[in-house]
Amino acid sequence: MISYILKTLWRHRTRTLLTVTGAAVAMFVFCFVGSVQEGLNHLTTGSDAERSLIVFQENRFCPTTSRLPEDYADKIQEVAGVREVMPIQVWTNNCRASLDIVVFNGAAPEQIQKTRPIKLTSGTWQQFTSQRDAAIVGRNVAQRRGLKSGDQFSIGDISVKVAGIFESTVPSEENLIYTSLVFLQYTRGLDAAGLVTQHEVLLTQDADPDRVANEIDATLRAGSVATKTRRKGAFQSNTLSDLVDLIGFAHWLGYACVGLVLSLVATTTVMSVQDRIKEYAVLQTIGVRPMRAMRMVLTESTTLCLIGGLAGTLFALTTLGVGGFAIGAEGATIAFRPSLGLAISGTIVSLIVGLAAGLAPAIQAATVPIVHSLRQA
Amino acid sequence: MALVELRKVCKSFRKGDETITPLDHVDLDIEAGEFVSLMGPSGTGKSTLLNLVSGIDRPDSGTIIVDGIEVTKLSRSKLADWRAANLGYIFQSHNLIPVLTAYENVELPTLLLKLSSRQRQQRVDLALEAVGLSDRAEHYPRQLSGGQEQRVGIARAIVAHPKVVVADEPTGSLDLETGDQVQVLLQRLNQELNITMLMVTHDNDVASIASRQLVLDRGKFLEKARS
Repeated sequence: MISYILKTLWRHRTRTLLTVTGAAVAMFVFCFVGSVQEGLNHLTTGSDAERSLIVFQENRFCPTTSRLPEDYADKIQEVAGVREVMPIQVWTNNCRASLDIVVFNGAAPEQIQKTRPIKLTSGTWQQFTSQRDAAIVGRNVAQRRGLKSGDQFSIGDISVKVAGIFESTVPSEENLIYTSLVFLQYTRGLDAAGLVTQHEVLLTQDADPDRVANEIDATLRAGSVATKTRRKGAFQSNTLSDLVDLIGFAHWLGYACVGLVLSLVATTTVMSVQDRIKEYAVLQTIGVRPMRAMRMVLTESTTLCLIGGLAGTLFALTTLGVGGFAIGAEGATIAFRPSLGLAISGTIVSLIVGLAAGLAPAIQAATVPIVHSLRQA
Repeated sequence: MALVELRKVCKSFRKGDETITPLDHVDLDIEAGEFVSLMGPSGTGKSTLLNLVSGIDRPDSGTIIVDGIEVTKLSRSKLADWRAANLGYIFQSHNLIPVLTAYENVELPTLLLKLSSRQRQQRVDLALEAVGLSDRAEHYPRQLSGGQEQRVGIARAIVAHPKVVVADEPTGSLDLETGDQVQVLLQRLNQELNITMLMVTHDNDVASIASRQLVLDRGKFLEKARS
């Protein structure tokens, strides 16, 4: 019977091709939207987001407007529950929302190596630490900008030598370029000697993040610049609040794509069954059980949906894998990465939609009035 | 005991405000190996009777027993299983599946039975050989003439070794010469393979190949003497 189903699909190949293409495009968009959602989740959840704090200048948002004394690090280090403090100078080419944002994070190279969840895929740490203008570049930025170790990369007033490319278990890290703190502080236009954009605080295992955050702000209240300390996930979520709202809205687009596939495949299957209602009557006259007729229609709709859905999902994952896409604002970025979760959800959604789309026509095929249908011309 | 037994079978239809009763307490016995033709004016219920015997329609009342099984009591699924194992249906308009080859069309009923692939292949080969179309096995219906399509339809009807084959105007859509060939084939299958046949026809000549000729008129059977 599988041969009959496949041949039927082949007989109407234009219709099949159009349906499969439609399903593929819709599932492509579904996976793309899904990857944005995943990127946002990675940014705002997980140990990096929950167990580290960002100390930023109070009532400031764009990295260029936050200017904290570098020596705040010593005072923060004294707060109970703080394991390590990393002063970071941030430079970005665009404070507004952008799909091609470039964010430099300047920090002490040994601290970067020790604290960041990154692994060099090319180049060496030695190259990075030994040269003042050296930078290690996140995989996403490298893909987007076509960078490799040894290249010179310039943007605005900054010009760095790529000492290595890194990957990370935290996708948003792969959108960063790390340089030494001193290099970035002395970059023309920043004029930030002795100043940093933020302090990243790593906590001890038993520390309560909110308590430590309040304590840091209280400790620094007497300083020259007031601070606002938040969990890293909350900080990034707040920084990207406009984008978060948009991404929240975009998930409806994902649902709309699923609805689109559903109606497309359902329409095709209904047309196919109605065209062949006499065939189903003949099959049942021969002895095909109603349930079997039902399964045949469901197999047909699921096959259409799975072929289209898997093609769309595969294409989306490939595009995400090679494209290195990210969206960012105010120095924080959301990475769009392919993932096993996306592949599985794309496949499961295709399967469920295929079954749902075939349900009504399958019931029609199974309950066909045989005598009446055989009389149809 | 007859192979096919109809007892007090009634079937009515609504047509607008009118109720038509083509079959009114009909009784009929068909013995194993018999070839029965059924004639009668249009609308007298010949095809309805055929559909009732084949289990694709249900009577309003009465019983139909085929080889000891009361088919009127079977559920839709059980009826499908019963048809797969016991009934062959030859349609007037062939009704082959257009996307399948002649071989695959004939193979369809065997896929519903518990047979090994070797047994299936043997049965399909034999059925195609019986209708003289072994050399057209890989042809699609669109590549066959009307007569060849009907012969594939006949092969499909006999491939599962059914107890009864019903034929609804099997030569109705064929030209005279092709119709004659199909008649000869049906007669041969009945005589050589001892297949029990019930055939509906309008044509006296076609009806004459049957061993028993019945005329259905106003809901009752009239037996016609063999000419």
